[in-house]
Amino acid sequence: MAALVLPAGLLVLLLLVAPMAMLFRISLNEYSPTQLMLEALQPGNYLRALADPYYQGVMGTTMTVALSCTAICLVIGFPAAWWLARMDSKQKSLAVILTVFPLLVGNVVRSAGWMALLGRDGAINAALRGLGIISEPLQLLYTQGAVIVGIVAVVAPYMILTLSAVIEGIPRNLEEAAANLGAGPLTAFRRVVLPLAVPGVVAGSVLVFILCMNAYATPVLLGGPQFKMMAPAVYDQFVRGTNWPFGAALAFLLLVVTLALTVLGSAVVGRKYRR
Amino acid sequence: MISRRALGAAALLPVAARAQDARVVMGTWGGDYGEILRQGVDQAVATPRGLEVVQEIAPAPTRKTKLLAERQARRGSMDVVGLSDVDMYELAQLGLFEPVPEGAVPGLGRVIPSLKRAYAVPHIYSARVILYNPNLVPVPPRSYADLWDAKYRGKVGLSDLLYAQYVETAAIVGGGGPSNFEPAWQKLREWKALGARVYSSNEQLAAALKSEEVAVTVMWLARGFMWKQAGIPLEHVVPDEGATSITYEMAVPKNARNKEGGWRYVDAMLDVRGQAAFAARMGYVPTVTDAPLPAELARQISLTEAQQAKLRTPDYAYQASMAGRLLDFWNKEFKG
Repeated sequence: MAALVLPAGLLVLLLLVAPMAMLFRISLNEYSPTQLMLEALQPGNYLRALADPYYQGVMGTTMTVALSCTAICLVIGFPAAWWLARMDSKQKSLAVILTVFPLLVGNVVRSAGWMALLGRDGAINAALRGLGIISEPLQLLYTQGAVIVGIVAVVAPYMILTLSAVIEGIPRNLEEAAANLGAGPLTAFRRVVLPLAVPGVVAGSVLVFILCMNAYATPVLLGGPQFKMMAPAVYDQFVRGTNWPFGAALAFLLLVVTLALTVLGSAVVGRKYRR
Repeated sequence: MISRRALGAAALLPVAARAQDARVVMGTWGGDYGEILRQGVDQAVATPRGLEVVQEIAPAPTRKTKLLAERQARRGSMDVVGLSDVDMYELAQLGLFEPVPEGAVPGLGRVIPSLKRAYAVPHIYSARVILYNPNLVPVPPRSYADLWDAKYRGKVGLSDLLYAQYVETAAIVGGGGPSNFEPAWQKLREWKALGARVYSSNEQLAAALKSEEVAVTVMWLARGFMWKQAGIPLEHVVPDEGATSITYEMAVPKNARNKEGGWRYVDAMLDVRGQAAFAARMGYVPTVTDAPLPAELARQISLTEAQQAKLRTPDYAYQASMAGRLLDFWNKEFKG
């Protein structure tokens, strides 16, 4: 039986583990503007990234945006997922297509749409000015809010579909039994549906959180040049600064923080609802 | 005994080899540059000379990174690459390019001598100048230093892509220059305090100039020419301190699959038809001395003799050695 996972395992080893091992090796090298990098085994790039208030801030912003987006997706995604799960099968296929429809548009194109909407001369500012509510355009684009809205629009379908699959597995008669025993809809949700949906909440949140932590196009396009998250910072070091060792160290720090927060979050939520 | 199939395959070999010789992969910018290259060089010159050109389109930083990533590969993905002079030097010092072979590029005899390099061939060039909107700035600035005047508070727009050039500009204002960026840091802090705005791309800066969100910028003269053609109300000033040149160059990577074809393509890029097309449509000055340049066009895209005399060339070695520090300062202090 173990042999069945061999092809997939080898593929992962080849395409994921090997490049990551190379990247980790590069992160221990020393940067050289004249030779690209010098062979070394030193933790200087990691120490620099951890000690530099700028990169601490970039990591802080990345975590804030990722956690905010995950929380928003959970709040707006749960009712939608419940509705989707409890829908008749005929309508459900259409609803699923509508849910995944935003994913058919690339991130860059979608961001261009947000820019047309949120820009100084965009549709929202034009409407507000037309209605006489504002005289000067509001700064909507190039803000953290714009980035959060943009990322939520990208990742919300992942949350909805993951939650919906789990909620579908919760028998409908459990909600009816709760109602028969006198529980209101909110109590039935809190005491029956939510605890049973925890695996979906954890899986959806983990998926969305990882996508948000690694977001690149949306922060660059909707956050503007002053706004920095980790993925654009890694790109900057590799492509603009040609500092591969430091870029590789930043990439690994992003990986470790994402992994740690994911494991921690799953453990805390899982323990709370297992009782 | 040789089978019929083997014979057939052997007969096809020279054809395949010929096709390989003819095929040249050009690593280039897309947009107008790629299009003019296609029409003015590929179709007009290279194809009739028997080359089959494939464009590999990506922004310059991406192509630079790709060249670096495949530097140890036996066969690279590009036969010719176009990059700015600063980028080209940075990669040349890492040993990525073939030296320009004697006699392989006959057109080099027509190239402006001061633009020639051992590792690359110059394609087109321009200079960094001040662009301003005459509707918003009735009295034009004369120098870079004027842009630090409080009357331009919040009116100066900058492109994130040209950060190294703005560091050099600030260094010049602070008493330094292409070989000394130290005075730049303080001048950039002052510029930031005066509300200089940074835009993610040249296109976003153009939109800000068009919507009159900003009134002044420091930019390539050629880019200003294109923006004027696109209807943005702009005039240019060559700064009193002297403009700095930008040359776009072509090189053949050491691991190119078709080096001979690569050099033939480089020569095609020096043909006057392509050179004239880049001047007329993108505002870049030809690097060859015999390309036709109508007087009115020359007035708009080139410098006068006096301005030429003050033209500065980047100190490539110094700039390459400062690359990390420039990006750090720009990201952390100027934009941060």
